[in-house]
Amino acid sequence: MTSQTVCIQIPAISDFVGVVRLAVSGVASRMQFSLDDIEDIKVAVSEACTNAVQHAYGSVNGFIDVEMILHSDKLEIVVRDSGKGFDPDNAVSDKKDGANNELFGLGLGLTFIKTLMDFSEIKSTSSGTVVRMVKNAPPVSIPA
Amino acid sequence: MVIEFSINVENAGDVPFVKVSGEIDVYTCPKLHKVLTEIVASGSPKVVLDLENVHYIDSTGLGTIAHAARTLSKSDGHLNVVCNRPQVRKIFEISGLSSKNISLFDEAAKALAV
Repeated sequence: MTSQTVCIQIPAISDFVGVVRLAVSGVASRMQFSLDDIEDIKVAVSEACTNAVQHAYGSVNGFIDVEMILHSDKLEIVVRDSGKGFDPDNAVSDKKDGANNELFGLGLGLTFIKTLMDFSEIKSTSSGTVVRMVKNAPPVSIPA
Repeated sequence: MVIEFSINVENAGDVPFVKVSGEIDVYTCPKLHKVLTEIVASGSPKVVLDLENVHYIDSTGLGTIAHAARTLSKSDGHLNVVCNRPQVRKIFEISGLSSKNISLFDEAAKALAV
């Protein structure tokens, strides 16, 4: 089976992150992921979008592109912005003194993406950030 | 099904009981932050946050809850969270927050009793 791609573009504002969750939930459901897996995918994709909303553009208007690529054996999702980028090493997942709420949230978000997906990578430069993540599809059950 | 986000604050005796419904994410989080900040500032040593009707939470929600719990703990207070949905509980567990200034309960009665 060749892969199929579903794309959605949203303004990089918090109002539309829930729309991406609904879309990715529909795609994952169509691929017959379990409810638990669908919830995991929703959180991971939402975290990537939230990261773009909070850190990519500052006060400038921008967009987030979400690409959902349906392979026969996995769902690959790419979340892309054209913002100013960030240093993933500065993100913290433990609330220590001096860590502000945004960096704490960013660190937790990256932890969720890594933990809940089967593969993830983040590439961030001064011209944007690309988060690529993969959830392996459930094995197809063959009727007896 | 999408449940509309809402926050309802009651008093169970002298304990603030904050009941949240819907999804806690980057869009709805500022509303929760405002309510929790006001309640924590009121000086109550214990606050119960009921997430029984919350079916989605992410890092922004956890950040807000962690901030409230941390502020409470500075005055020897504590945040008790009611959470019985496996996916929401899983998010707390991955974050490690439940082992710090936050206690998780599966029933509101237990969270209020401690």
